[in-house]
Amino acid sequence: MKRPLYIFWLLLSLLLGLGAGLAYSWQISPRPLNGASPALLRADFKDQYRSAIAAAYAATGNLPRAQARLALLGDENPAETLSAQAQQSIARGNFTEADQLAALAFAIQSGANASLPPLPIETSETVSVEPSPLPEPAFVLTETPEPLEAPPVETLPPVLTSTPRPTRTPLPTQGAPFRLIGQETVCDPNLPEGLLQVIVVNASRRQLPGVKIVVTWETGRDEFFTGFKPELGNGYADFLMSPGVSYAVQIAAGSEIVSALVTPDCRTSSGETYPGGYKLTFQQP
Amino acid sequence: MKTFRWFLILFAFLLGVGAGLVYGWFIEPVEFFDLPPDALRTDFKTDYVLMTAEAYRLDQDPAAAARRLALFGAQPPYSIAAEALDYARTNGFADTDIALLQELVTAMQAWSGINQ
Repeated sequence: MKRPLYIFWLLLSLLLGLGAGLAYSWQISPRPLNGASPALLRADFKDQYRSAIAAAYAATGNLPRAQARLALLGDENPAETLSAQAQQSIARGNFTEADQLAALAFAIQSGANASLPPLPIETSETVSVEPSPLPEPAFVLTETPEPLEAPPVETLPPVLTSTPRPTRTPLPTQGAPFRLIGQETVCDPNLPEGLLQVIVVNASRRQLPGVKIVVTWETGRDEFFTGFKPELGNGYADFLMSPGVSYAVQIAAGSEIVSALVTPDCRTSSGETYPGGYKLTFQQP
Repeated sequence: MKTFRWFLILFAFLLGVGAGLVYGWFIEPVEFFDLPPDALRTDFKTDYVLMTAEAYRLDQDPAAAARRLALFGAQPPYSIAAEALDYARTNGFADTDIALLQELVTAMQAWSGINQ
């Protein structure tokens, strides 16, 4: 064997060996995974994991623990992901799950009280003796209602300031009409012209997703739901009004009708006029 | 001399195989994703069961708890809960968490009996 040919064979065998080693370690027998983290789960399993986190948070009110668990999923923005999943749950008609997801999203966004009182835990000895000492969750919020004085939207008091458990009454109940607590003319050249913004909150001023809003005008009618833009709030919805048309807005579940909403004229600092919008805030008593 | 050269060629091949294995197993191992829940590490599995137990503590709905545990496949729910309880006991979980898991195991045993 001549020297150049020998070196060629030497290099070729080295490369072939390298290729064989890589093929074996990447394709034939990859290094076994010794336990995966939740971040590696398939998307639908991640959703179930997230639901479990929200359900556990609803039960314990332990926000740091819920946040630590969410961190394992590796979501870039856990609150947004939770809100988006809450919308999907609403679409599937699973309102309890949506409620829990939205509550956790809200708690994370608002940095809500992390020390909600945990439910009393029985020891194994007391399980057999005490029948079911669970506190009735519905009482938690009703014991500490906040006064509703129809304040303007900007001056809403901070939400979830103390001990109310945030997951018990976030969805509207049938037959409880909403009332208008705020109506503002919005003049912001950065917003779309004729933007009608609707915000729906419950009695404890938590935004409510999935609330149907009906808009009617002389020649038509439209319906839309809160919560489809979770980045703007779970209880937010909007609609574009045409200039010169008079609109009436009502919550489908029952509310007073806000009528004669015509695109207002706004002025820029240079004196030019442009169509403004409205911001309506409804609250469930 | 000729035999020695062939030996070196074979040695180069084996060296390449070794380098490939080291690279593929340790330096740049295969990355896994879209895994099933069965692949979860035991402590994460146990934490998931604990979440189920916490939720069960509130809603007292064994069917809902069983549905959550069904994430891990065909294994009976009480068995999944019992494994988590064992892990929690041997790994120093808080007493409150162990109590929750114990309650879930009991509930799943009763629920499984009803649904057999």
